[in-house]
Amino acid sequence: MSQNHNIGNAAEDLIKEQFELEPSLEQVVWIDSDKTTEIRLLEINPETPATGSVLAFYFPPFEEFLYATHIAEIRPEEWQKILRHEISLPEGWTLDNYKVYSREMVTV
Amino acid sequence: MNERQRWRIAFLQQAKSDWEAYQRTRQADWPTCHRLLFLQMASEKLSKAVLIAGPSNLETITQSHAAFVMFMRFAGNNHKLQKMLGLKKSQQRAQFKALLPLAHEIELLAPALAQGGPNPEYPWQNTSGDIFAPTNYPFPLIQRLHQTPQGIQLLKYVEIFLKSFEELFM
Repeated sequence: MSQNHNIGNAAEDLIKEQFELEPSLEQVVWIDSDKTTEIRLLEINPETPATGSVLAFYFPPFEEFLYATHIAEIRPEEWQKILRHEISLPEGWTLDNYKVYSREMVTV
Repeated sequence: MNERQRWRIAFLQQAKSDWEAYQRTRQADWPTCHRLLFLQMASEKLSKAVLIAGPSNLETITQSHAAFVMFMRFAGNNHKLQKMLGLKKSQQRAQFKALLPLAHEIELLAPALAQGGPNPEYPWQNTSGDIFAPTNYPFPLIQRLHQTPQGIQLLKYVEIFLKSFEELFM
């Protein structure tokens, strides 16, 4: 992954890589995609255990990927609950700007 | 150091202490339930120490017992571990995926997740009406942890994560 990418390219490269590495991944939601300092992803995977919450892991930037990244894995029904505001997003995360990626969108 | 960082360090310290207790009970040939109890507690607190660096609500993290499987899924993405072990990302991901069933069994040892079944802390009753004390139960999981390649690998990773926490996760 090139370090010269802007955050949009970096996020999409990361999403593509996640789809390549995880066959059961159905969709990836880039939350707050207007933010320029960090990438927040929700990975929708029916194989992940249901927790009824959004437990996001932090990945600090490193030389080959310059953006701090937060990734949480949720089940498809948990995403629907997030959209209905029945499951809260982590503090500071919103649904004001988000993009949903499917496997077909990034692997074509 | 902010409050959240102090929580993180406290969870890590307790995870390390639980892991040490697990090792001591292993050496001393204590009942299996005690070994598994300390292992389950170490793995849960390790996972929470990592989660606290993220944005999730602290209360959500501390109240959930389902953290270890999620942590192991994401440990497969840790590029620092990838470098430390000299693995390709796809190899690392595949290796961690193979460990998930055992991680799930460890996670389910928490009494809150055991659904009234075998757990290393409290007695339970099976569907036939028999009542078991954890201290008398054989817990076949322990054999899979100590005698299968996946079990040995999983325990080795828990040890690496605890010993190299600062290097891998901070």
